[in-house]
Amino acid sequence: MEHNEQSVKLTKKDVNKSFWLWQLFSHANYNYERMQGTAFAMAMAPILKKLYPKKEDLVDGLERHLVFFNTDPNLGAVIHGATIAMEEKKANGADISGEAINAFKTGLMGPMAGVGDSLIQGVIIPLFVAIGISLGLTGNLLGPLLVWFGLTATLVLIARSSWMKGYELGTSAITSMLQDGRMKTWIGAAGILGTMVMGGLISQYVGFSTKIAFTIGQVPFDLQANLFDAIMPNLLPLALTLFIYWLTTKRVKTTWILLGVAVVGIAGGALGIF
Amino acid sequence: MEWWQAIVIAFLYYFADAPFWFGDGYYVLQRPIVAGFLVGLVMGDPVQGTIIGATINLIFLGHMSVGGSIPSDMALAGYVGTAFALAMHTTTEVALAIAVPIGLIGTVVWVGRMTISAVFAHWADAFAKKGNTRGVMLMNWVPAQTMLFLFKMILVTIFCVYVSEAVGNVINGMVGSPIFNGIGVVGGMLPAVGIALNLRAILKKETWPFLIIGFLLVAYFKISIVGVALFGVAAAMIYMLMNSKKEGAATNGAQ
Repeated sequence: MEHNEQSVKLTKKDVNKSFWLWQLFSHANYNYERMQGTAFAMAMAPILKKLYPKKEDLVDGLERHLVFFNTDPNLGAVIHGATIAMEEKKANGADISGEAINAFKTGLMGPMAGVGDSLIQGVIIPLFVAIGISLGLTGNLLGPLLVWFGLTATLVLIARSSWMKGYELGTSAITSMLQDGRMKTWIGAAGILGTMVMGGLISQYVGFSTKIAFTIGQVPFDLQANLFDAIMPNLLPLALTLFIYWLTTKRVKTTWILLGVAVVGIAGGALGIF
Repeated sequence: MEWWQAIVIAFLYYFADAPFWFGDGYYVLQRPIVAGFLVGLVMGDPVQGTIIGATINLIFLGHMSVGGSIPSDMALAGYVGTAFALAMHTTTEVALAIAVPIGLIGTVVWVGRMTISAVFAHWADAFAKKGNTRGVMLMNWVPAQTMLFLFKMILVTIFCVYVSEAVGNVINGMVGSPIFNGIGVVGGMLPAVGIALNLRAILKKETWPFLIIGFLLVAYFKISIVGVALFGVAAAMIYMLMNSKKEGAATNGAQ
């Protein structure tokens, strides 16, 4: 093969540098038109410069990675790692077209965003934050520090190992990872943990009770103490949360829900109902 | 609020969105619990700041950015909300009630930056055509970050100095009124919104029992959230064990 006359090998340092460019700048120019597109190009730029000595190849490479791209920047980093591996093969003469690289990127950014959003934004972050809040509300400074440093370290670790896994294992690894039963098991297990903590938070932090009281004949009847608390403690907070959850499943906008809470709360509080 | 405090808080609000904290500003520094702590340091009361930030963060437990849109700007709510609350020495419920509208105002800022930054992508295109890697790299952060820095510094500094006083006067004028009572009720209800939004993302038919168990553990036994999380880890381990058995059985069956 004529391309094979000179072989360019990437060093661990090159891959590492590219990772940190992504890690830091993935959302530095976040925008509606390309999302993380310019950030992807930034991370690839030094790699492309090393791989493609010919100017037209370099221009092609840069333009290839400036297109629309959007995924979870942590777990999704596996895509970037594998893209680097593809570019390296291409530069060394493998028959990989630019379109194939982009098809790979756009094909996986959606699934990885799905996995990342449910695992990272859905469970890992709320878990750290919930524990941080429970400490912080008592005035314990460990709460914010845990979120600040503990969460940062966790996320950087996840992103870095995803990136390196992608580079080492290449494109096929990602598809098999997504289909692998173990990934689903992990997501399921994380979901259980997250859901259980949310249940605890309802009891602990949602404050909602009624002040309605009346007398039946001669007997005073306090709706909260004699009915709701008698059935189950924190019954109303649970009902309120599940009602709002039900609204969100009906795709009611968050802004409307917030407005509704404000109106009901202020009116009910002013009238002495709650 | 002193000018220097307003300027530092504005800078922290910018920094929470900037790339320079390992790129994890959105995940970490924008969380109101961290914001509250930092604003508390600036205002001379980190403990009260943390308590207020933690309270505000309850609404944003379910905060998710999906497909480039955010439901509310939790960073603005956290930084400016805590600053307002500390400046007017108010209750945490009131802090919560003012943080919500502040967060909603922030979404306007978000839409603006997401629209304008698209221009810089075209600047990057121009450098790419010349094969200028350095230019492409710089276009990913220098123009957008300069814009965000200037805009956020000016907006939040002015907001902190002038608006906090006005809001403070209004709120303090309401103390003891029926409306003020109502604001307290809203403050209690709002965490339900944050929790419900997170449940929207993670709750499945199979995980409903765990929601109920978590709820009951605290309702009846007053277990701390860390304790609930530990029970949750145990439950997750049981689930994984059962799953690996099932997988093993499936492979055995195939043989």
